[in-house]
Parts: sequence; C-alpha cells; structure tokens
Amino acid sequence: MSGAVQVLIPTGLGLNCEAETGHAFRSCGAEVDLVHLTDLFTRRHPRRIADYRVLAVVGGFAYGDHIAAGFVLATRIRAHLRDDLAAFLAGGGLVIGICNGFQTLVRLGLLPGPDAGPHDFVPRAALTNNDRLGYRNAWVRMAADPASPCLWTKGMGNFDLPARHGEGKFVVESEAVLDRLEARGQLALRYAGPDGAPTVAWPANPNGSARGVAGICDPTGRVLGLMPHPDAFLHAWHHPDWRRSDDPAGRIAPAGLEIFRRGVDAAARA
Amino acid sequence: MHHGVIDGGNQSGIPYGRGWEFFDERYLGKPLVYCGTVGRMPVTVGGRPAEEKGARPGDRIVMVGGRIGKDGIHGATFSSAELTEESPVQAVQIGDPITQKMMFDFLLEARALDLYSSITDNGAGGLSSSIGEMASAPGGARLDLAAAPLKYHGLAPWEILLSEAQERMSVAVPPEKLDAFLELARRREVEATDLGEFTASGIFHVLHGERTVAWLPLAFLHDGLPPMKLVARHAPPSGPEPAALPEPADGAAGAALAAGLLARHNLASNEDLARTYDHEVKALSAVKPWVGVHRDVPSDASVMFVDYDGPTGYALAEGIFPRYSDIDARAMAEAGVDLAVRRVIAAGADPERIAALDNFCWPDPLPGPSNPDAEHKLAQLVRACRGLHDICVAYGVPLISGKDSMKNDAVVGGRRISIPPSLLVSAIGIVSDARRATTLEARPQDQVLVLVGETRDELGGSEWAAARGVASYRVPVFRPEVWAARYRRVADAIARGLAGAAHAPGPGGLLPALFRMARAADAGLTVDLGQIPVEPGPGAPPGWEARLFAESGGRFLLACAPERLGELLAALGDEPAAPIGLFRPERQLTLTLAGRALVDAPLAQLTAAWKRAGEARA
Repeated sequence: MSGAVQVLIPTGLGLNCEAETGHAFRSCGAEVDLVHLTDLFTRRHPRRIADYRVLAVVGGFAYGDHIAAGFVLATRIRAHLRDDLAAFLAGGGLVIGICNGFQTLVRLGLLPGPDAGPHDFVPRAALTNNDRLGYRNAWVRMAADPASPCLWTKGMGNFDLPARHGEGKFVVESEAVLDRLEARGQLALRYAGPDGAPTVAWPANPNGSARGVAGICDPTGRVLGLMPHPDAFLHAWHHPDWRRSDDPAGRIAPAGLEIFRRGVDAAARA
Repeated sequence: MHHGVIDGGNQSGIPYGRGWEFFDERYLGKPLVYCGTVGRMPVTVGGRPAEEKGARPGDRIVMVGGRIGKDGIHGATFSSAELTEESPVQAVQIGDPITQKMMFDFLLEARALDLYSSITDNGAGGLSSSIGEMASAPGGARLDLAAAPLKYHGLAPWEILLSEAQERMSVAVPPEKLDAFLELARRREVEATDLGEFTASGIFHVLHGERTVAWLPLAFLHDGLPPMKLVARHAPPSGPEPAALPEPADGAAGAALAAGLLARHNLASNEDLARTYDHEVKALSAVKPWVGVHRDVPSDASVMFVDYDGPTGYALAEGIFPRYSDIDARAMAEAGVDLAVRRVIAAGADPERIAALDNFCWPDPLPGPSNPDAEHKLAQLVRACRGLHDICVAYGVPLISGKDSMKNDAVVGGRRISIPPSLLVSAIGIVSDARRATTLEARPQDQVLVLVGETRDELGGSEWAAARGVASYRVPVFRPEVWAARYRRVADAIARGLAGAAHAPGPGGLLPALFRMARAADAGLTVDLGQIPVEPGPGAPPGWEARLFAESGGRFLLACAPERLGELLAALGDEPAAPIGLFRPERQLTLTLAGRALVDAPLAQLTAAWKRAGEARA
C-alpha cells in the first residue's frame, strides 16, 4: 500500500454519486475503495472503516428515502457499524457527507455531534422538507465561515455549487442551539445572496434553512455534511457560466474539487 | 406525471438531460410520456464484444428484481386500447424505484464479472415476451411459473406469465455460473430466481409445477402472425389560406403580440418544472438544459462528457411537431428530424456522427365502427415513415432505436378523442471536445447576428397559426438533400470558432428564437427583417407574419464577432446567409421591416410573459 490517503466510499442501496465522488478524491491524489454497503455490514470486505483516513457518504436516495431521507441507512449503519465508526472517529478520521450522505450523518447523530467528548451517535438536528416543497436542481452561491474549525472548507470564502435536493432545510431544537453552533463555527457553509452574505431568501437559499445553513461540521472540524454537491463541480466545464467566463481563476475555478483537496491534505497531515 | 418522473428518474441516479412539454387538446384523453435513455457500455465483456448477447441451450432462466403481482396485467394492451371510464386500475404498473436501482447496481456488478450471457427487460408482455424473445437464440425455453416469486397469492399461471409488474429483468446464466450469480444477488439484497432453462427444443414450454400451461413452437410464436392487409387512403385537408394580418400599428403593439406568443404553453419557459429533475448526477454535464446569463433559457442540446478522463462528449436534442400531421404527417416526421439534427449541430456535434431515436405515438389506424377515418390515419403513418426514411438517408442519420404505440384514442363523455399522429425524434451527436461545445449564449464579443437558410411563406401547422386560431395548409417543405451540405458548412464554422453562439429556430419561428438569444445574452437585439434570406417560391415573397413566425427548416442563427463576419460568411460559401442584426446593451428587442418597427419590446416585458405562463402551470 502506498502512502496515499486511503478513502472509503460506501456504495449501493440507492446511493448514486459514488463515481464522481471517487473521481474527485482520486484527482486529489487519494486512493479510493468503493465498497458495497452490504459487504461492510456483513464484514465481507477485508478492511475495517478504521483502516481508512477518510469516509465519504455520498449523495443519492438510500432505500428510496422511505420514511425520511437517510433514515433507513442511518439505522442500518448504527446497527452494523457503530463500533467501527466510533473507532475510526476516535483515530482522527475525516468524514464528508454530501446531500443524502449529510442527511444520513445527521440521522446518525454524527452531525452536529456532542458539544464535547467522543461521538455519542445522538441525533440533535434534522434536515427536513424544503420550504418550497419538492426537489430542485440549481446552482447556488456558498459562503464559508472563515472562523469555522472545519478542515474541509478552510479559507474557501464565496464559491458556487449545485444544489439538488428536496429535503435540505436544517432544523434544530431552538435558536439557542443555533447560536451555540454558530458561535463555535459549526455552521461551516451558508447559502449566500448576490452580495456574498448568508441569506434565507429563495432561490439563493433553496430550502429556507435558518441563517442560510447549507453545511455543518462537528466540533472537531473533521466531520462535514453539506447539501450542495462539491462532487459536481470538479472542473470549469461543470459551471453553468463557463462559456461566458474568460477568467479560469474566477467563479468557474472548480471549488468543489478544492473541498476534496482540503480534506485529503488534512488527512495526510493528521 | 411529474411526481413519477421525479421519483423514477432522480432515484435512478441517471442524469435527466432534457425536459419539455408539448400541449394540444387532443392529448386530453391520452397524455403521452416519452423517455429516451443513453447508456454507456464497455467495449468488451469477458473478452467478447459487449453488444453481442445470446442465451445458449442449457443456460438458466433467471428473473431478477421485483416480484410479480396483478399490477400491470394487460398493461401493454391497456396502453394500446381506447381509454374509457371502465378501464381497469390494475393495468397501471406500480413503480418502486429503489428496487430498480438496487437491481441495476447488481446487474452492472454481475456484468463486470461476466456472470450472464443475455439479458432483456420485462416490459410489455412480462415474462411471455422477455423469455419468448430470448428463447429465439438457443431455440427454446422451459419455464416453471410455480418458481416465480409473487407479491401475494392468487395469481393464475397466465397472470404470472403476462404480468408487467415493474423492476424486473430476465437473465440467461450459464449453469456453471448460477451459484455465483445467485450468491452475489443475495449479498446485494436483490431477489433472483431460477425459473428454468433455455433449450434447443424449438418450443416455448411453460409449466406451473408439473403441469404444462403453454406449449408453443417458436416458429409460430415469432413468425405465426399473418401480416395484416389494410387500406390506406391519404385525404389531406385543403382550403383557402387565411387572409394576412395587417402589420402591428407600432412597435408597442408588436411587443404585446410577441409577449402573447411567448406566453403560449408550447413556447413558454418551463424551467421551474424541469429543475425538479436531477440533470447533474454523475458530474458529466458540459452544457446544461438551461443556459444564459440567468440560466433560464433552454439549450438547443444538452451536452455530456462520456467519461471523467477525456474531452469527448455527446449532444442530445429532440424535435416534435404533432400539429403538422393535421396537414401532412410526412412534414411532421421531417420537421422532427430536421430540428433535432440542427440542434445537436448548433451545440457542436459532428454531422457525420449523429444518430436518432424514433418514437411513434399514433391514433388507431385499424378500421372500426367508431373509427371512420382509419384509412387516413394509416396513410399518415405511411407518409410519416417515408418522410422519416428520406430525411434520415439524406442526412446520414441512422435510426438506432425506436418504439411505437398505435392506439392512442380515448372516449370521453361519449366522444372519441384521437391524438394527432406524434413522432418524437431524439438525436444524439458526438462532440469531439465537449469543452468547446456551443450554445445560443452570445458572449459580449459576439455582436453580429447572422441568419443562415431561407425563410418561406409556410405558416401551416405553426404555433402562430394556432395562436391566431386559423388553418393554414402551407406546411413547411424540407430539402434535406440540399441542406445536408449546408449543415456541414455550419458545423465547420462552429468548429473553427467563427461563431461564438448558435441557435436552431424551431416552433414559433424566428421571433421566439431571437428572444431566447437576447435573453440568454441578457442584451438587446436589433434585427432588420428585410435582410433575412427569403425564398420567393411560386407565390408572393414572405410577408411580415412569415418572416417572424414561419417555422421553415434548414435555418441557423449564428452570433459572431464583427471582425470575424467576413470569415464566417466565406466559410458558409454560397449558402443563403446574411447578417441581420446587432446585439446592444439596452435590453430591448427591436425588429424592423422596411424602416418600420414591427416589434419594439423591453426584454423584461417579454421575459415576464414567457415565465408567467410557466408559473401558472406549475
């Protein structure tokens, strides 16, 4: 095995973004294993989650989003893989959950996670139906919290990503909880308006999340979940404006790839 | 309908490349849903060409995926029957996208391991059709329906055989690979069941346990149907042409008229509906279904990369003109091919590497007491097929797949409603470098607008005629044998970067096309309609209505930088082409003829009309 960062991408059961997410990590120099979830559940796959440095839970419709988005998958992960996952997290592994993966991590309790101490797998938030009901595929502007501990989004500023979901509105118990998450920089990514500032206004904010929340991290900054798809902005030609742009370092510079690069680099350093 | 596409499409993980709607009152009884899919496969599987499949005698018959229920029994008959209040509810298949997705994933894995020798979907006719078809390669099949997994008890053997319950595929598995195949299915939580074996007996032999329930020689099954002998009689309508409308009193009156046309359902933006479909999963999209500064103008063609590692892409577009059938179904078919081909060329496809898919939906062409004009409907089918053949041969476009549905009639309130003969043509064209794909978005440097191709006085079947509520019988005439060379020149000019933007005018004619280019560029556009190439023909030269609204084929709008205009026109050779207008910063669409403004419209006014219609529908 080489010294490259080892990435585990579980597949199957309705997930559908494994190919592009795998390509994204490989483009950043990582080695990627796409492993069917049933082989992880039954331990047929020879390696444990803790044998990897990065776990990516990709987008899709696990179990058809029956009951609620991410619900059945989170329940099965909890039943089969909780101890493995706890060992992986205790060892400093990084996690990214994208769209359906984010929904799954929230159901699992990995996000936003406990205020202190090891992960306890207690759900403390939900991602629910968009205010404007229904699925929507459109590009949105992001604003990364510069003070966030998130290792995946450090120094990202404003950038564009496509949003593709119907259940993306981030909800917690109270304003006080939101205040606490915001104060600790856990509201890592917000939907931004044309001025670059967080917004709750549609369509810049596609789901009506309070304070424009698009992605959150755990207190360590190693676990990130986000609704928009960094896996669909890996080169300039993914951006809807590439034909009119003459600045390859500007808005069409592939910000999605930058998120994966930051994760891989952080995993290599850890 | 949209919920079905959202659930079935989005959960499949297949990007939804295009989305559009076409409205006509005659679809009231039988709304149609067309879906075309592009797949990518390895060149070889197990050392053999991947496209070669064929069950061998001794291969096991394995059904994979969902279980069999009463849902979908008579589904095909139902979709090909007159719809009435008494039509059975159970004829509709009940979809379960997650079962389908898990089955797909499993089958791709099994294919990579070369675990099966042939595969067919269980569509119309269920197992009877899938196994009956697959049996023709080995020369027979013995199938035990008692082994088939059912959703619930109580299905008669014929129901198991014919059920069109969804999410099922039939697979031929060599006996030595059966254990590995079934074991992989178990691991992936996908149901797979051994139902029997393919044979060389010459017989399609169906059992239920020990009891034979069907025993059909394959020769009879496949070739036993005597060809029908039917009479076709073309009875085209005719009548006087409608009187020409007087020109709009002034630019503002023309603006109101243009806004009214753009608000029509068949021309309006349907962006909000189409955005409920995932068009970016797999991260291979290069030109999205929506383009322009505001990302709300439909692209001529969607362009996708084939893979992550290379620049090769492909463009997808469609054409459909059901109302032309009211005058001549031949023109209907030709128009669909012509527009689909022009659209993929506008996106940068190579004219030598375009293929198409033909989907026919027809009113019943069989004579009967409630179908007095069956002979004409059959003649329409003959004419459409001839038109389709001729134009595809002229353009060198093979029809690589297709489907037909022949009884799209309904009786509503005692009245028979037949759909207009409707051929959807979907084109796929190879774009050698998708990073250089073209759209209708003019960039700031693309200031000059050039129109290639003649406009003729042919408003028959047009959106304009429908808007006016008049019947015109002059349906567009197509000259593919002349236009094929033109399309190569246009494609070359686009490939050489002489045109920064390209657009194929389609339904509604030039006016909606000019609006879309202006909106996409978020710029104004001033056009002199006196400059457009016209073909006088036998009658008078086209008047203002034809110039604005005729849906003449063979035309492209190209935008270029002023300093490249000479080069662009030279590249087009002796094709009829002329600079007709200029983009400008003020967001105003100004169309003049003989020094008079026919349309002088703020872009905002037109955009509001074009979007409002869509919103009212959503």
